[in-house]
Amino acid sequence: MAETENLGSNKALSSDLAVQETEGSAVSKWLNQNGFDHELMGLDHLNVPILKVSRDYLFPFASALYAYGFNYLMFQCGYDDGPGGDLVSTYHLAKLGDDDLRDEVRVKVFLPREDPRCPSVFWIWKSVDWQERETYDMYGIVYEGHPNLKRILMPEDWVGYPLRKDYITPDFYELQDAY
Amino acid sequence: MVMKPENIQMDFSIEEQKQRLINPIEKSMVTQDLVNNVVLTTLNDLYNWARMSSLWPMLYGTSCCFIEVAAMIGSRFDFDRFGLIPRSSPRQADLIITAGTVTMKMAPALVRLYEQMAEPKYVIAMGACTITGGMFSTDSITTVRGVDKLIPVDVYLPGCPPRPEAIMDAIIKLRKKIDAEDFSQRANMQSTHRFHTIKHEMQAVEPILNGKYLELPTRIAPPKALAESGIPLPALQIAQTVKQEA
Repeated sequence: MAETENLGSNKALSSDLAVQETEGSAVSKWLNQNGFDHELMGLDHLNVPILKVSRDYLFPFASALYAYGFNYLMFQCGYDDGPGGDLVSTYHLAKLGDDDLRDEVRVKVFLPREDPRCPSVFWIWKSVDWQERETYDMYGIVYEGHPNLKRILMPEDWVGYPLRKDYITPDFYELQDAY
Repeated sequence: MVMKPENIQMDFSIEEQKQRLINPIEKSMVTQDLVNNVVLTTLNDLYNWARMSSLWPMLYGTSCCFIEVAAMIGSRFDFDRFGLIPRSSPRQADLIITAGTVTMKMAPALVRLYEQMAEPKYVIAMGACTITGGMFSTDSITTVRGVDKLIPVDVYLPGCPPRPEAIMDAIIKLRKKIDAEDFSQRANMQSTHRFHTIKHEMQAVEPILNGKYLELPTRIAPPKALAESGIPLPALQIAQTVKQEA
């Protein structure tokens, strides 16, 4: 993967980064050892490992990450992987404790556009509540098991999911140019 | 000659009295009192003067423009000296300064607030967003491209956001506009709906936001399948611990 190669060349620059990288893949290794199937998509520019997981195993996978020490959900968000591509639900997790062991991981779930269902991780990290609602609002990803999956930003009766690449804004009177 | 009390002789002759009346040595008190106490004006001017001197704006702000309005309310710019006292109720307000971006979700609320204000009422469209949609005018999915699509605007106040001095200028311009208004033309100035409406057959439904967000049963207990799966649920465990400690 191109991302990994770039970071490989940077690795020689700093021994700290190298430590981070082995630390980063340590999560992946630990998950593999315990039978949590996933794909390591590489590291980002801060050496945070990106793990791709199937939506069928997301909940047990997230639960395992919580048990590993990722007790803090920094954010959850969604994005559209391009016209006709998948919709992606992303989770950025961190360890938060009294010791200085800083560790972060990013989890991505790729969902087909025709059937964007995804299990909710509300019962693991409660802070995901409004963020999953926002992702639902903007991308139409249905979080199954979410306690109150309603639109949060758009009007309740809005039709369509406005941040999808294939969304076409209706020509509402209010949206027509003012001049 | 200097008139001093001791020099004044009491002379009650007709001629002397006549001279005093024709050539008074000081201003006649009667005329002076009249000038000080009687104002000649038209009812129209008086009415306009009273209205423009106590324009009560509604506290309405949806984003960064309101920071400037807040500065305007504060002691440095002090818009109370124009007789502007911010009101929190549309029923008591004469003026609405639409400070900040108006989205399609906010639009019905804005129109409702405007309609709740008592006549005569004025609108200052403040900032680029409320004039044309501003920086959101090209690709926003919900920003209303100018509040004049919703309510009639009296003064357009450009800027992003405008400085308090600019707001002051807009208020002075609005005062001039009010001052020039004529009683007899008021009937022609009533606002009309500028948008096309059709009769709808929609049914009123209960609002989905009912204030019971945290008490929802789905929020208190996890779904059955999840609870029976045996996967630990930290959020539930934390909630239970908090409950026990309380």
